Amino acid sequence: MRRRQIKEVALREVRTRGRSKGYRAITGILLLLVVAAPIGISFVPAPSDDLREITIGIGVDVVDGFEDQLTVLADGTFELTTVDFNDTDDETVDGQLSAGDLDVAVQAPHTLIWDATEDSSISSLITAALQQSEAVRRAEDLGLNPGDLGLVFAPIDVEQQFVNDSSATEDVRAGVAFFGLMLAFLLPQIFGQFAMMSVVEEKSTRVVEVLLSQIRPQTLLAGKVLGLTVLALVQLAIIIVGLIASLLVTRVVDIPASVWQFVPILGLSVLGGLLIYMTLFALLGSLISRQEDQAQVMLPVFAPLFLGYFVGQTAVFGNAESLLVKILTWFPLTAPMLLPVRVSRDTIGTGEVALSLGLLALSSYLVFRLASRVYEFTLLRTGSRVGWGELIRLSRGSVADQAG
Amino acid sequence: MTAALEVRGLHKAYGKVHALAGVDLIVERGQMVGFLGSNGAGKTTTMRSVIGLTSVDQGSVQWNGHPIRIEDRRNIGYMPQERGLYARMMVHEHIAYFGRLAGLESATAATRAHEWAERVNLADRKDDMIQELSTGNQQRVQLAVALVHEPELLILDEPFAGLDPVAVAMLSSVMTEQVERGVSVVFSSHQLELVQDLTQDVTIIAGGRTLASGKVDELRRRAPHRLLTLQWAGPAPDWVPADASVLESADHESRFHVDASVEPAALIAEAARAGTLTSVSFEPPGLEDVFIELVSQ
Repeated sequence: MRRRQIKEVALREVRTRGRSKGYRAITGILLLLVVAAPIGISFVPAPSDDLREITIGIGVDVVDGFEDQLTVLADGTFELTTVDFNDTDDETVDGQLSAGDLDVAVQAPHTLIWDATEDSSISSLITAALQQSEAVRRAEDLGLNPGDLGLVFAPIDVEQQFVNDSSATEDVRAGVAFFGLMLAFLLPQIFGQFAMMSVVEEKSTRVVEVLLSQIRPQTLLAGKVLGLTVLALVQLAIIIVGLIASLLVTRVVDIPASVWQFVPILGLSVLGGLLIYMTLFALLGSLISRQEDQAQVMLPVFAPLFLGYFVGQTAVFGNAESLLVKILTWFPLTAPMLLPVRVSRDTIGTGEVALSLGLLALSSYLVFRLASRVYEFTLLRTGSRVGWGELIRLSRGSVADQAG
Repeated sequence: MTAALEVRGLHKAYGKVHALAGVDLIVERGQMVGFLGSNGAGKTTTMRSVIGLTSVDQGSVQWNGHPIRIEDRRNIGYMPQERGLYARMMVHEHIAYFGRLAGLESATAATRAHEWAERVNLADRKDDMIQELSTGNQQRVQLAVALVHEPELLILDEPFAGLDPVAVAMLSSVMTEQVERGVSVVFSSHQLELVQDLTQDVTIIAGGRTLASGKVDELRRRAPHRLLTLQWAGPAPDWVPADASVLESADHESRFHVDASVEPAALIAEAARAGTLTSVSFEPPGLEDVFIELVSQ
């Protein structure tokens, strides 16, 4: 009977809240955002494929063939310009380096002159060109055929393999982390407030009195949380499917396979966040009797939500392995936001994920038990809101019910 | 015979305020009981205790001879004093929802919802949102909600408050029908004439205590005074019976409260000497007088 009543309450929430303008508008806006973002990015020109332009000054008496070797080696990597310094004094060269007109000057026999700092890629290029030119000259001095030497030193294709993701994939990971953080931050907040509104509506219209003549307070709470969780997960699924479809169509990024492991973790994190926050919001709703009093009681729940969000931001764009990030990953009220971020940034092991989710599940259950106890006493209270002191006494079960 | 509902010695204090200080209420199967009391007498607290919405400090609530349990409360239909409905639910949807919560199968709940919408004269409004209904019509929905699961006991807290005469007649007929079906009904009301029309059984409470309980006629008979009404052929004379209080003295009519122990024949004979009488009535006071007298003691 109790399960049936939970189902009935949940279905009522799904039907009434699901067809409300608020739910449809929020779903539409979030879907629009996730679908529009890849489409928008696809219209932004990709980073330029133009080669890096470098200008190298070449002094007198630099080894023969150097400029030719330099041109061959720079091909496909740099847009090379060389400047002959045969008639230029040192002061002019220094001035051009300082002004940035030259990247580097090469002087005989093997000297590179920089403005202030060395550019390692240009340095490597010039060093290789000098070595090859010098090798050719020495081969000729020894009577060897430079053509044979060319065969000896013919470049080989070196295949590159990476154990870790490339920087492009890192960007995708950060994007996924940010997406997960936003959902884990927004959904518990949105649906938590739905839960609160629902409780306050039932109190203010006194329908709760009729409800409680048929069902237990905890049954009512469980049904409400369950119904809104279903709605939230439907919304989450719509958003994820919309985003994936948009990414596949626009081909803005290649989605690395590892990212797919993130989706179930995100789902579980959001689910845990929804359960714990909706229960807390519903509990706070039972302390007041009017919709306009909601702001008075929401701070204690908003504080950990925002803490998780802001620390999550630092983990998305900065250090995802700091001690604070690790601690907040285990703290149940911030774990729903930190866990998806750390998983997507690949800075958390399976054991820690399991521990964090386990703590979140246990805490959700304990919060529900606590809220049920308080809910029983506060639901029929009308008039001024229940104070924090009384709430603590109620949570210990030490206050009798009050007249309505 | 075991009473359907037997409330004994209920006590409930909120701090220093004693909301209930010994309430007894007994309702037999198929009996309608008017639960009467001034504002703040403890009627709502008592009704809430029966429903399980308020815990009591002392006393017992028995259902069919055993302490009332959660599952027993599903056999109760409750209509609270302050109406409680979901504003954004349709009428039939609302009634069916509460039917399902009380344990009805979905199809049964839907059928009953339509039947009750029709019975409370809301058939043409069954697809309207609750918020689109007038207060009176919302009250009809509230009644249907209380009855949709065919309860064995109906508890109605001020069911007639704010209703127009048509709605009062409809509600009264529904209550009578339920009693005929064997349902026990307890209702509170300040409209004592209406109570007297509906039922002979009342329980009167004041200050959280039961003052009197029984048949209306019996309570009237037990009253310490009688109502003497005299119609005169001419203008009412100045005559006043000994130890009587004058209730009204108009052109051709005088009304007095006289002691119940007075011999009516002697009194009427004395009145006849004061003037020409066209009609005489000597009867126990009405329920309203009984109520006022009891609660003002």
